[in-house]
Amino acid sequence: MAEKKFDVIGKRYDIKNIGKVTGEEVYSCDVNIPGQLYAAVLRSPYSHAEIKKIDYTEAEKMGVICIGPDDIPDILYNERIVSIPDKTYRDRTVLPKDKVRHVGEAIAACAAETEEKAFAALKKIKVEWGKKWKPLVTLNDTMDPQAPAIHDHVYLGEERVDVKNNLACERNIDVGDIEQGFKEADIIVDETFNIKRIYHMQLETKSAVCKPEANGGITLWTTTQGIHNVRILLGHIFDIPLSKINVKRITLGGSFGSSIQMNSVTPICVALALKARRPVKLVTSREEDMYDHSSYPLKTRLKVGVKKDGTLTAAHCQVWVEIGGHNIQAYPYLGCVAGWFASLYKWKNIKYEGKAFYSNKAPSCARRGYGSPQINFPVENTMDILSEKLGINPVHFRLQNYVGRGDEFWGQGPTIKSIIRSCGVEEMLVKGGELINWDKRGNPDKKSGVIRKGIGVARGFHTSGTGGPHPGEVIDYSGATVKINEDGSVDVITALMDHGCGTWDAGAKVAAEVLKIPFEKVSIDNGVDTRTTVFDVNTHATRGVYCGCGAIKFVAEKVKEILLNYAATLFNDRPENLTLALNEELNQGVVYPKGLPENYKTIGEIAEYAHTTSWGTIAYTSTLRQKNCPPCFITYFTEVEVDTRTGEITVPRVVMMGDSGTIINPELWKGQILGAYALGLGVGKLESIPYDKITGRLKCNGFITDFKIPTTIDMPDINNIIVEHAHTYEPTGPFGAKGIGEAALSAVASSFGNAVYNAVGIRFHELPITPEIMLKTLKEKRNRREN
Amino acid sequence: MEKIPIEFSINGQKREVYVKPNDLLINILRDELYLTGTKYGCGIGECGACTVFLDDEPVLSCLTLAAAVDGKKITTIEGLAKGNELHPMQIAFLKNAAVQCGFCTPGMILTAVALLKENPNPTEEEIKDYMRGNLCRCTGYVQIVKAIKACATEEKTIDQLAN
Repeated sequence: MAEKKFDVIGKRYDIKNIGKVTGEEVYSCDVNIPGQLYAAVLRSPYSHAEIKKIDYTEAEKMGVICIGPDDIPDILYNERIVSIPDKTYRDRTVLPKDKVRHVGEAIAACAAETEEKAFAALKKIKVEWGKKWKPLVTLNDTMDPQAPAIHDHVYLGEERVDVKNNLACERNIDVGDIEQGFKEADIIVDETFNIKRIYHMQLETKSAVCKPEANGGITLWTTTQGIHNVRILLGHIFDIPLSKINVKRITLGGSFGSSIQMNSVTPICVALALKARRPVKLVTSREEDMYDHSSYPLKTRLKVGVKKDGTLTAAHCQVWVEIGGHNIQAYPYLGCVAGWFASLYKWKNIKYEGKAFYSNKAPSCARRGYGSPQINFPVENTMDILSEKLGINPVHFRLQNYVGRGDEFWGQGPTIKSIIRSCGVEEMLVKGGELINWDKRGNPDKKSGVIRKGIGVARGFHTSGTGGPHPGEVIDYSGATVKINEDGSVDVITALMDHGCGTWDAGAKVAAEVLKIPFEKVSIDNGVDTRTTVFDVNTHATRGVYCGCGAIKFVAEKVKEILLNYAATLFNDRPENLTLALNEELNQGVVYPKGLPENYKTIGEIAEYAHTTSWGTIAYTSTLRQKNCPPCFITYFTEVEVDTRTGEITVPRVVMMGDSGTIINPELWKGQILGAYALGLGVGKLESIPYDKITGRLKCNGFITDFKIPTTIDMPDINNIIVEHAHTYEPTGPFGAKGIGEAALSAVASSFGNAVYNAVGIRFHELPITPEIMLKTLKEKRNRREN
Repeated sequence: MEKIPIEFSINGQKREVYVKPNDLLINILRDELYLTGTKYGCGIGECGACTVFLDDEPVLSCLTLAAAVDGKKITTIEGLAKGNELHPMQIAFLKNAAVQCGFCTPGMILTAVALLKENPNPTEEEIKDYMRGNLCRCTGYVQIVKAIKACATEEKTIDQLAN
């Protein structure tokens, strides 16, 4: 569909958030309350050990407030309440009552006048440890039938589930007849891939500031992607009515999925504040944060059948994942991994088997893509392997088999199915190929010299939210209040979080577009909380624009109705006879009788009239559930240079193609893709977060320099980066828009891996491809040739 | 531990504070002076988020003892703009979408200002080399490098930004 013309949507504006460049932006770690205490957390040095007794009497003698497991309500919960209760596994309490399950797990905490004193008090706490077990850090360790049990039993909803062989949960999905599918195949490939754990490394570590209120309630500032879920969970754990818990919406210093769940330190801070009856501030260190969460790893065995003409016939996908000491969201994760896999290509017949196992590591949680990058790498490598065997151009092979417009897809797992209505895959594959000179990339066998160049392609997608025609396993709705103020400016009041991706700017633009108000007259700033907003589930699942701003559009349209009704009274006319438009000369929204633009009243005049005549405020509040989660697509063409002397891989050039329907914030949209590309390069060549098998500790010891993330020097030069968007329009989205954030990461490492293959003829099945691994593999290849 | 008085200039104003010999500058700035624009990202000099100017040179405030700034001049991100007039680097960051979550931004901007003071017309390679100690997880650095390049080639004021 042709692109539409808008007044505000798609226009370039400077970033609204000036506080972020002046240092005035307030993050939860910046909140200070008069009289606050500072908290410190005692963490387990052991990966799997029985706690016999925790005695903080000596610490208390220092005049500090302490909490241990006995001070915590006996409530078993899951910190992530995005899934419906019946599909939510519950295996944890605020502090563990029986044993620790990973190094760094919180076991007690102190709050004191100074942070130094709080840390000194921790040293006085006596912990009597019981039995200790050997850490289970690898999949093989934890899947071993002789391995010690990390959990004896857990709860799924209200149902008790006994845990056998550390199996946290599993998901099996069958579509069609897999055996028949493989019988029809001329070529079958069967390969195993391994994507490791990665630490989110969001710049802001987790923190919380809690102020107990006189009415027995609390006010809370904390790092989160969704303030309402934090409130609901705290209400449940501490048995406080939600009306007495107020969670402030506050700027987030990056998250990438690590704060979908309520952070582990949030209820600890609350428990301390309730006990102290004083405000408490808890800010975690980088090391603590590294022991608090990481992404899910994924081992995949993927067997795919294809006919000689390039038609896919069957895919058997088996995945295994170790999830750490607690099950935050492995069940929906396995469902989504199935969805990302099944909705990329028309496999026809599918068998999917997913298993998640507990391990003695930090709990895994969503990390940008929620398994999509992890399964995209096996799929997109396999597509290249098949192309080569078939002798078909990999771009053509993808064009032949992709799931696109008119097809059913279930990206968010098998319970959320919908039809794709907008799709720029073909445009991106064709145009991207032209921009990178795909046809001139050459064959790895023909390449020689010290520096080998290669080009790789990969495509991916993410859903825009988790909505479907029928509600599935995931709770998904957003809400907003939109009001036209007495001077004609507009407040958008929403719990919708912005991670820095531009969600708030998009929300302001959507309201401005509906109400024909200049962008700068719409405020969507902080200063709202759970008390002043209606529910918004979370900014996750790439739902900010499609769902969050979809709700803002829905509400703004109701406000527009009220505005026109008021205006009709003023004009002594009918609302349907009036036109609402943005008058660029006046830089104001105006209403006039159709055909008589010169007889206008500005929105400010109408609002003022409504005010002075006591008609009331032009405002509306509601929530909206989107009934779709349209896929936003991405395609990368990555060029690499492999230095065969050092094993180092650089990326001199890249073409990035994205399909988000209407682009609401052009520069921020680009920023999403560029940022995701750097994250993906980290996955491809730098990052993993291994644990020591003996101690169960992080090998990087909490140091960023030993974990290693991309820096300025890892990205190509500005002139060698092309970012373009497909020309699509999503009919179910706000002004035709879909998401981008997570889609953008899904295919980066895959395009990188395929480019490396094109450069040196080596197919890597495990990431990252560090210089050491590259050199070792090149040497092995040389030795094989010589022998 | 006994506190000692130190006096220093902070964003152009003289301040006297009492610090312990082991107090770090970052904590004094954030917890005593409430200048929370200086961010804690790692506490051990790995990320650059806590960059401030000490006598106009960029330093990591998480590795600087507060006692060591006695008699010196400190500029934090809060002191970069002149009243309501943003520094050209702040404007360049806003105009080039070099800001996402914003947590690395104060350190990034101060380091970038220091770079242009040392080298008013850096090449892209020089920018990347100078900035590599400042970590960002959101932007992929591209728009940051672009902003610094833009700032080096054009001077912008807040009035121009508003238009």
